[in-house]
Amino acid sequence: MKSRPSRRSVLAGLLGSGTAASLPGAVWAQAAPRRGGTLIVAADSEPRNLNPAIVASNGVFYVASKVIEPLAEQTYEGNGLAPRLATAWHGSPDGRSVTFTLRPDVTWHDGRPFSSADVAFSALEVWKKLQNLGRVVFKDLEAVDTPDATTAVLRFAKPTPFQLIQNALPALTAVVPKHVYEGSDINANPANTRLIGTGPFRFVEHRPGQFYRLERNPNYWDSGKPYLDAIVYRVLPDPGAVAAAIEANQIQLAAFSSVPLADLARIGRVPGVAVVTKGYEGITYQLTVEINHRRKELADVRVRRAISHAIDRKFVVDTVFLGYAETATGPVPKFDKQFHTADVTTPGFDPRRAEALLDEAGYRRGGDGVRFKLRLLPAPFFEQTRQFGDYLRQALRAVGIDAEIVRNDTPGHLRAVYTDHAFDLTVGSPVYRNDPAISTTILYQGGLPPGVPFSNQYGYNDPQMNALIAKAAETVDAGERSRIYRDFQKLAGEQQPIIHVAEFTFISVTRDRLRNVANNPRWATSNWADAWLAS
Amino acid sequence: MRAANRFFSGGGIVGTMLVAGVAIAALLAPVVAPGDPLALIGRPLIEPFTDWRFPLGTDRLGRDVLAELLHGARATLIVGGAAMLATLIVGIVIGTLAGFIGGTVDEALMRLADAFQSVPTFILALAFVSIAGPSLTSVVIAVSLGAWTAPARVLRAEILSLRRREFVDAYRVLGMAPLHIAFREVLPNALPPVITLAAVIVANAILVEAALSFLGLGNPNSVTWGAMIAEGRAVFRSAPFLSAIPGVAIVVTVLGVNLLGDAANDAINARQAQV
Amino acid sequence: MSRAWTVARRRLLHSIPVLAIVVLGMFALLEAASGDAVDAYLAVSGGDAGLVAQLRQEWGLDRSFLARLGAYLAALGRFDLGWSVAFSRPVIAVVFERAPNTLLMMGAAICFSFFAGTLLGVAAGVRPGSVRDRILSALALILYATPSFWLGLMLLVSFAVKLSWFPLGGIENIGMPETGIARVIDIAHHLVLPVLSLGLIYLALYLRLMRSGMVEAWRSDYIRTARAKGLAPNRIAFRHAARNALLPVVTMLGLQAGALLSGSVVVESVFAIPGMGRLAFEAVTQRDVPLLLGVFLVSTIMVIVANFCVDLLYAQLDPRVAVED
Repeated sequence: MKSRPSRRSVLAGLLGSGTAASLPGAVWAQAAPRRGGTLIVAADSEPRNLNPAIVASNGVFYVASKVIEPLAEQTYEGNGLAPRLATAWHGSPDGRSVTFTLRPDVTWHDGRPFSSADVAFSALEVWKKLQNLGRVVFKDLEAVDTPDATTAVLRFAKPTPFQLIQNALPALTAVVPKHVYEGSDINANPANTRLIGTGPFRFVEHRPGQFYRLERNPNYWDSGKPYLDAIVYRVLPDPGAVAAAIEANQIQLAAFSSVPLADLARIGRVPGVAVVTKGYEGITYQLTVEINHRRKELADVRVRRAISHAIDRKFVVDTVFLGYAETATGPVPKFDKQFHTADVTTPGFDPRRAEALLDEAGYRRGGDGVRFKLRLLPAPFFEQTRQFGDYLRQALRAVGIDAEIVRNDTPGHLRAVYTDHAFDLTVGSPVYRNDPAISTTILYQGGLPPGVPFSNQYGYNDPQMNALIAKAAETVDAGERSRIYRDFQKLAGEQQPIIHVAEFTFISVTRDRLRNVANNPRWATSNWADAWLAS
Repeated sequence: MRAANRFFSGGGIVGTMLVAGVAIAALLAPVVAPGDPLALIGRPLIEPFTDWRFPLGTDRLGRDVLAELLHGARATLIVGGAAMLATLIVGIVIGTLAGFIGGTVDEALMRLADAFQSVPTFILALAFVSIAGPSLTSVVIAVSLGAWTAPARVLRAEILSLRRREFVDAYRVLGMAPLHIAFREVLPNALPPVITLAAVIVANAILVEAALSFLGLGNPNSVTWGAMIAEGRAVFRSAPFLSAIPGVAIVVTVLGVNLLGDAANDAINARQAQV
Repeated sequence: MSRAWTVARRRLLHSIPVLAIVVLGMFALLEAASGDAVDAYLAVSGGDAGLVAQLRQEWGLDRSFLARLGAYLAALGRFDLGWSVAFSRPVIAVVFERAPNTLLMMGAAICFSFFAGTLLGVAAGVRPGSVRDRILSALALILYATPSFWLGLMLLVSFAVKLSWFPLGGIENIGMPETGIARVIDIAHHLVLPVLSLGLIYLALYLRLMRSGMVEAWRSDYIRTARAKGLAPNRIAFRHAARNALLPVVTMLGLQAGALLSGSVVVESVFAIPGMGRLAFEAVTQRDVPLLLGVFLVSTIMVIVANFCVDLLYAQLDPRVAVED
């Protein structure tokens, strides 16, 4: 029924796929995509709300991004964005509006036509009001004009940087059908678990505790795609089972490091299995030491710099992450060329300097070699945060600080740190989402109410920092905005209110049969329309 | 004499030696392996018996397995001992009150015991430690939550039978306060059967603590054998020794405690038979 | 049957306060916990202050302790176990989805340990002091001192990794689930190692009990009379001695029903089996009060029922506990 994939789409696939690391030879990357086959992948969680427009998180995107599409997706090429439901976009010079030209002839999975009314509804009722991240980015959105079915104009009450909106497009602008959600309680709508979208795959079934099943959308707007017939997500919360399943060819993809780092060396040697480190740059995680400034010792910048001097970041990358990470110097990861600057004064590994600073700050070693005691709460989110907590305890002890580890499970940790402020140091793992304003500056901004997770609950309130953050939030000129964020990084480097230790993404383990892997910076959370299985 | 003979039969000797061995290891830990056992001092994943500086090898982060093992012995014995004390104290108090006061107090306390026995005790322990936050205290309390019912019931049964004996009436006639009679005169005679439970309680405490540590709910500031097994699990395909060694240590310790307990029971039974 | 009825009625009456204590106790315990279900949810999604407050209100977590307890008890009266916030499904559905896996695993472990243990116990107890007895007793002692999760790991390393005879975990093949008899065989194949991890340890228990029971009974008067009469030793063993030695073993079976769920938690964790033990763990880490209570209630009821059956069985076995017809 559908024609074979066009030469153009094959070439487009080639451009993306050849860059993946440690792939066995470039020969097969040039084969023509084969239509057909069911891709079976490992999923480690079953989110209670699967709607990516409401919950912009990786666990949700992993399944939902194949069904519900954003306005644009991240790519490695060009300006970093590829059109999806929007084909073109530009911002007004005064920052008060952003105009999207939408793709024509797109239909929802239930047959109804997609139009600008859906974008308007999603933006005003979902992204702005309900979405965890959208509430921050779209807070000044006041209206969306829809002069025709393929044009949507977002209008803001205050100047909003177009650069920010652009950076937010892949993760924050999933479009949901107005005709399904209008008039209902959006949060309780059954379409949040039985998704209806415009994407290359249709949602078919979710059997709790077992699997999700998606099938090809025959009316997808990118004709010829998707290549796969179906995708099955097997629910496998246990890492050992995932590794075994890949080896036994029962699944073809284990994403998000569900195969533990310690197993990667061994599993990479199995014939037919590939370890892919690329494809997650757009979802970089940061390993941080969060500091409670209410503690007198920690309010002193010399003590904070001393703690940063005590940490051997290279050792952490090599031992805790087994090399699968980068050392970090500040709040913006190296991958983000738009904003990153290396011109910062972040303290490197120098235990002697650490001891000198602590002496200078007035905290000499006591008779037992201890200067002062701290409570350290390593976050339970990843094995690496826990292990880094163990390392940090040693590193601090070496410079005379006695850190006692307090372990909590996830809700206990969130409550202790972000509501009760019952900590001195914690190990955190915030996510960087391609623009500092989305989920990073909130870690530095002063004056926030207690109870907001993953925000500045540290008692840190610096007027200079607050001013930089506020200014960047309303600077429309992209060049100027980038410059302000470089100043932000410099100030963060001097003051070290949070200590950034490492940047890490995830690792995918795939079978060779699966092609067009990791061809964009958010591959695992993108729509896999061009993924295919060789025979 | 017969009691001593029964105690020092084959099982008793082996048990004593094993437990003494573990105790000596625990005491000598700071001598043989000074410093912090959790320090990252070596190259990760050195195999045992290959490097004389790390006789039993190193773990994923480069910690000395022998140091961890020896210091883990301390944690194990401390938890075992503390849990035994806590369990016995709670069990004895409740058992005495139930047996001596009787009536509705007895009914209520026995229903409470039923409740604690009907509930899956390990899950209760798990929930408690998870909620209270893992620490030595919370682990000890968690272990006692499941174990107190046994000594309580045994003691209650003993007291119920002793209550009817003449010497109790004699004390009452003399005007002694009931609680005084209960705790000062009746209790000491009722204790021996409860003491026989002590070894079982210690053995159970060690195993429960190991399981809690394995699930990540052990005391994070000290080394425990269960936590070592959990650490080793991540690399159990390439370095199974990391999980095997602490497990053997647990088996040896619990075996020693059980043998010791059996021998002590035999000895006490022999003595009671003499009486 | 009237005696059985008295037993039943007394058990039922006692179980009501027991269940009440369980419900109140767990509710209070989770109340004392730091963090609630919203905190667990936010770890995944994040959110600002407005969202946090909104979620708390939606999930009824901003009501007082007594209000929530009252609502739960009222629902319980209608046999409604509530809604699991962690799984977004009714608690009953979640619990009964996981329960069969645990029951299957534990049931198989108890059966294996019961039969193997009692047979070995008889073999040991028939000739106390012999080489066979010493070896079996030593084996029992060592097994009894072994943590089940460690035994499981060692079995995994030996039989699943080094020898590849068994799968590394899970309850069935995850590629495409099989059906019919192939599925039964697949599940059995997956359960061999977990059942052994638990069964070998319980086996030690039954072995020791049966052995000491045999030794006692073997020395007792009526056995000696039977031997004097010239009855064949094996017949004596299995008919008379074993029957009496079974009594404490049957008591142990009843006690084991209580340990059923407890023992399964670590083994389910090692072998990644989706069972009720792990469900309880997940309920705690997600602060899912209705789910945790549901698991506890279901397992407590199972224990009460099991104990009741054991009481009846006991009455059958011990002629001194006569059941009037």
